[in-house]
Order: sequence, then structure tokens, then C-alpha cells
Amino acid sequence: MDSLQPVLDGFGVVLDPTNLLYCLIGVVIGMLIGVLPGLGPAATIAILLPLTYGVEPVTAIIMLAGIFYGAQYGGTITSVLLRLPGEASSVVTVFDGYVMAKQGRAGTALGIAAIGSFIGGTVSIIGLTFLAPVVAGFALDFGPPEYTALALLGILLVATISGGSKIKALIAAAFGLLLATTGRDIFTGAERFTFGNLGMADGIDFVPIAMGLFGVGEILYNLEERHRAAAVPVKVANVWPSRADLKQSTGAIGRGSVLGFFLGILPGGGATISSMAAYAVEKKRAKDPSRFGRGAVEGVAGPETANNAAATSSFIPLLTLGIPANATMAIIFGALLIQGVTPGPQLIANDPELFWGVVNSMYIGNILLLIMAIPLVGVFVRILRVRGAILAPITALITLLGSYTIRNSMFDVLLVVIFGAVGYLMKKFGFEPGPLVLAFVLGSLLESNLRRSLLVLGGDVGGFFTRPISATLLVIFVVVALWPMVKAAFDRRKSSRHETSDNQEVKENA
Amino acid sequence: MNFPRRRAVLGVTAASALLALTACGGNVGSDSSSGDFPSGPITLTVGQAAGGSTDLIARTMGAGISDQLGVPVPVVNKPGANGALATKEVAAMPADGSNLILLNASLITITPLAVSEDETVTLDNLDVIKGLSQDDYVMVASKESGITSLDDLKKSTKTLTFGTTGVGTGSQLAQALLLAQADIKGTEVPFDSGSPALTAVMGNQVQLSTIQLGEAKPQIDAGKVVPVVVFSDERNTFLPDVPTALEEGYDVPVSQYRALAAPKGLPEDVKAKLVDAVDKTLAEDSTKAFNEKNLLTPKEISGEEVVKQWNDLATKYKDLTEEYDIELSSK
Repeated sequence: MDSLQPVLDGFGVVLDPTNLLYCLIGVVIGMLIGVLPGLGPAATIAILLPLTYGVEPVTAIIMLAGIFYGAQYGGTITSVLLRLPGEASSVVTVFDGYVMAKQGRAGTALGIAAIGSFIGGTVSIIGLTFLAPVVAGFALDFGPPEYTALALLGILLVATISGGSKIKALIAAAFGLLLATTGRDIFTGAERFTFGNLGMADGIDFVPIAMGLFGVGEILYNLEERHRAAAVPVKVANVWPSRADLKQSTGAIGRGSVLGFFLGILPGGGATISSMAAYAVEKKRAKDPSRFGRGAVEGVAGPETANNAAATSSFIPLLTLGIPANATMAIIFGALLIQGVTPGPQLIANDPELFWGVVNSMYIGNILLLIMAIPLVGVFVRILRVRGAILAPITALITLLGSYTIRNSMFDVLLVVIFGAVGYLMKKFGFEPGPLVLAFVLGSLLESNLRRSLLVLGGDVGGFFTRPISATLLVIFVVVALWPMVKAAFDRRKSSRHETSDNQEVKENA
Repeated sequence: MNFPRRRAVLGVTAASALLALTACGGNVGSDSSSGDFPSGPITLTVGQAAGGSTDLIARTMGAGISDQLGVPVPVVNKPGANGALATKEVAAMPADGSNLILLNASLITITPLAVSEDETVTLDNLDVIKGLSQDDYVMVASKESGITSLDDLKKSTKTLTFGTTGVGTGSQLAQALLLAQADIKGTEVPFDSGSPALTAVMGNQVQLSTIQLGEAKPQIDAGKVVPVVVFSDERNTFLPDVPTALEEGYDVPVSQYRALAAPKGLPEDVKAKLVDAVDKTLAEDSTKAFNEKNLLTPKEISGEEVVKQWNDLATKYKDLTEEYDIELSSK
């Protein structure tokens, strides 16, 4: 196998002690910044860029890539333990992860997330190794109409994902869509809900909304609880996932890997939609969907696997086409240019050592991450033993600091406080923040791509159905939307025909 | 084992002493002690997110100025409203040389055409220290479109789609002016930034886009997109075979320029020191190599020249858009 030679040489590059060290440094930094919401991998890499000028290109990229996927795992820790999703792609992890933590199963959640992330990442790297040139074109086939269809599908998933009252979920999602419209209209420059405030010109960032609604809202709500009942410190039982947990998660991890790999290739929004889709798929497949939102381990395994797989496959468009799929990739692109390497179609041919060095460093980085994460789970879950009176202020501090670092502005800190109050009221009146936040993320994706599609298609809506990918996605949309009704009708007919008394089994759980 | 620890303690003491000094300096420094500028860190604010080309320029300049003046020059990103937020904030800071901002010309020359009056930013409240570089726009076509030159564009009978990098950007202005002057029919499709606009051309989702050269160059070299025209006054040295709009007979002089500025009212000696530090930084080989790698053409002109050129451009763009009845936004 001649073609495997460069791949194996790539491993030689990675196993060089210097590169291993930089890989480790990158992963550790990544995990640390992942814990601080706001200061994302993009900003961190930009700040650390000068450090890489003096080292070999491959070493530099190995470290920067390490920061990127290390941060993915760091974000999981805060999502599960503190209900702080640092990125849109980990919002769904909160649903079951935080509940599991409250049930004393934080260790299980973090352990499964680590294992899922490792497997998802590894599957994605294997995909990257063998399929990169084949699937790269996928990113180019996605134009505005395809993104519109994808965003529509995503918004439908929001409805599927949320537990509790459907009406309240819809109201929350509608509010999220409304929030997504704030800021200067990117098509006409018109001011929308900015109230003449320049700080609102670009709309509201994801971080203040998520941090406020989930994090601060929860803190405020707990304050109230504590006055009613004496604080019961959370018991931290079974730090390790049990054999049953692992068995239960196997399918979720497998499906999450595949979903994450393919959706992650899409620039813009791929990772978020992959984690949502993974969650929705698990919920649909479950025998008892009502467990979701109440600490279902697959609800953590699926999305966490998917978002890590997506993070890895987002390297494909960068390395094979020269297209950065997200802000972090754009900065890694810049770092490569500074090193005199041009990412793009010729990279594999011109610089096989660099290409395979980076790809293979991800195998090693993922193993390092797993080795570090597993023992650290035991340390992290101890955080939950800290009394609320101490933990809550620390969480609040992380939240405020994190939102300040987005763009060094006090305005964002103020927004966190406002959304914290909103989050508290929502929880008090039985609204879930999840649908709001996810609809907010998808709303801008949907709006801009719909309007862009109509410009590209010259106002002809039929164009959505003549393009194969958007047509397929829209068909899936219709099927998913109508399926519960069809199923209900079908079930009703079946049960009336049999006239048996077991129709209490039939649940209309859509 | 003892020695390093003691040294660390010493370091901390020194640092806190420095901090105390800086704190004092902030109070009295503005009138009397400008002679010992710089007495503390100089903050360089950037109105764009970390990692973009503006940010990279700021970080390169920051590191150079820091070496020259011997004080830290941290770069602080305050993205928002194309940089208007950061610029207004810095303009209101004390004019003691401890606050700098990296300006994009488009904020002064083009954005005012697209936003309401109270959101426009002018150079009136700033002391421009030095012009830095020029970043050119290039119009690229997809391979499938078959367009390789302006003539192809004019001959095309189809209504083509043109990607821009957003409302109120040089990309939008340059493209709109060219289409109006050459009487080309087209639909303008705004994207969020250069990268998605370029990706859309690569996938032939739109047939053409105007983006900054640095972003487009790798794909031009790889033959994935076809350069049609550049919008600089003279041919770009990195793309010598591509004609300018000007030489094709169209009056579309649009480039992105960058400059360093401080709040208005900088003491003369402080300004002199800053200009000197910037000049020395620009003369460094590392800065030249940086420009080369990022495909930036040096445009190292004095602060006074920057003010004159940018204000002239602002007037010129205003006249041109009025002449050809172009609206960048629906303000």
C-alpha cells in the first residue's frame, strides 16, 4: 500500500517529542479556556499566535488544533456541572447532563461525554484520513437554499427536542427567533431593535443569552429554593459510567459520530445542528422518550459525540479546499499562511508531511484528552460538593467574566444580568430556555439564508425544490413534521380495529 | 530552590510598584509629565474580532511599538458596528498617548453612506499617527460562469449574482459603482464576511464576488476562482496580470487602508515619540515580511496625509454614489 506511506510518515512527525509536547500544551490550554465561556478557542488562538512564529509549521498547527478540540471538551464540563453551555453546540448537553449532575451522576455524564468525544473524534479523523477529498465538495454544494432547508429542519428539531409543555416551548422558540432579528439588517443596513445603541448594532451574541438564561437563571432560582428547604449537598455517587450506561450509550455514540462527521463539514452552523440532530434522533429512537430531559445518558452521549466529530471534520474544508468552516478555522488558516503554508487543494500534494502530521496529531490529541479527562472527572465532580453559597458566586463570576471577554465590553455583562432575570422568570413559569437559545441560533441562519436564496433564485420559490439537496432536506422536513400526525392516525385505526384494551400504551409523544 | 522563589517575589513587587506608578501617572500625566512618556502600558484597541486581518496588523504593530518604547502594548478587541463602537470609545479617552486605535478607512469613508448620521465616525475627534498599509479588493468569478474579464461581464445576457462582504463595505461599494458605470445587470447578494462570499463563488452559488485580495489569493492561485478586476489605483504587485477598473475606464478607486490613531489633543512630544516608534516598527524586516505574507501593500504616509486622503475619498464616494444613484442601504 503505497498510498499509506505518507499517513505512516505523519505518525512519525507527531511522535516527535517536541510535537507531542505542543500537542499536550494545546489540549490543556484548550480545556482550560473551554471552561471559561466567552473566551472561545478563536480568541485564544489569535492571542497565542505569536508564540507559534518561532516553531515549525506542523508543530504550530498541532498546538492550535489541540486548543480547538480541547476547548470542545472543556465546554462539556461547565455544561454538565454548572449549566453553562459555552457554545451553541453544547446547549443540548445541558438538558440531560445537568439533570444527571443533580441526581449525583455527574461522573457518569462527564465520563460518557469523554468517551463519546474520543470515539466521535476518532471516527471523524478516520473519515478525514480516508474520505477527505471525496466529501470536501459537499461543503461547496451547500448554497443558501440548502442552508435554508437545513435551518428549517433544525427549527423543527427544536420542537422535538424540548420536554414539557409544547405551547410553552413554542412561545420560547418564537421569542428566540425575535431576538435573532436584533441588530443591523445585514441586507439593507436597517436598524432593528437597536434603540440607537451602537452596542446592539451587531445584534446580541450567543454567550450572554445562553449564560444568562441557563447559568444566572439557575443561580437565582436556586437562591429561592434554598430559603424553602435546607440545602442538601449533592451526593456524588458512581464516578464512573456503569456497564449498563455504556451499553445504553453505544448506539448513541455510533449515530452521533456519523451525524457529526457529515454535518461538521458544512461551514457555519454544522456543529450546532449536528448536536441537535443527534439528540433528536436519540429521543425519537428511545422506547421511552419521556426519560429525556430527566437524565437520560444517551442525551449526553449523542450530542457530545456529534459535536466533537463535527469539530474534527470541520478541518476537512480547511485542509482540502482552503475554506475555513468557522471562526477558529479562519484563524488557523491565518496561522498557516503566516507559516508560509497555503491551505487548499494542493496542500496534500505539496506538503504531505504537514497535512498528515496535523491529521495524525488529532489521533494523539484525542488519546491525550481521554487520558487526562478520565482521571479529572473525579476531580471535577467534587466541585458539586462545594456548598451552594460558595459555588453560586463562583459560577456567577465565571459567567460575568466570560461574557466580558467576548468583546471586552460591559454592555454584554449587563445583557447577562438581564437574561439572568429572564431565565429566572422563565423557570418560575415553567418555560425551558433550551428552545429559546436554539431558535435564536438557528433564526439568524434561517433568515439570512432564506433572503439570500431568494436573491440567488431571483425570487422563485420553486428553486428550492429543483435543487437536489435542498429538495431532499425539505422532504425530510415534511416527513418529520407530519410523522406524529400520521402515526397517531395509524395507531388510532389499529387500536380501534383490534378493540383491545391496551390502547393506554399508545402515547402521542411527538 | 529558594532563589527562584525570591526572584518571583521580587518580580511581583516590581510589578506592583510599576502598577502604582502607572496609576499615579494616569492622574497627573496629562499636562505636566508627558516628558516621561511612556510611563505605563499603551492599549491598542481594535474594532474587529481577534484573528481577522485588522487584528493581525494591530498585533504586529503592537509588538513592534512595545519593543521600541519598552512598555507592554496589549491589543484589546472591541468588535461592534464595523468598528464604530471601539473608535467612539477610544476617541473619548484621555489624550495622553496611552490609548491607540487601529482604524479601517472604510469606517470613515464608506460606512457613513450606509448608516444614520449619529452613528457615523469622523476623524475630527482623533489624532492620526501614521498610515500603515493598503489592502486591495478583487472581483473573482466562478469557473463555471466562464467569465474571465470585464468584457465577458458586459456581454453576458444573464442576470448574474454578485456576492459582497456586507452592507457598507468596500466590497459592496466597489461592485455597485462598477456595475452602475459599466451598465451591467446583476443581483447583489450580501454575505456576512469574505470567507462565505468566496466559498459561494467556489461552489458557483453566486457567479461573482468582490473580496479582499488576501482572502482570495490562495483560491486564485489554485485556479478555483478567476480574478476579473482589481479596484486599486494601480495594478496590485501580488496580482500583476489583473487589470484595474481604473485602466478599463471606470472610476472606482476603492481599497481598504489602515492607520493608527489616538484621541484628539495628543501632546506634541508624545505624538513625536509614537510616530518615531511606529516608523521604526514599519522599517523592521519582520513587519515587511508580515505585509508580504498578508498581501498588504505598504502605504506609510503621515497622519496629516491620511486625514486629507480619507476625507477626500469620503467626499468622492459620496459624489459618485449620488451621481450613479446608488444606495448602499435603506437607512
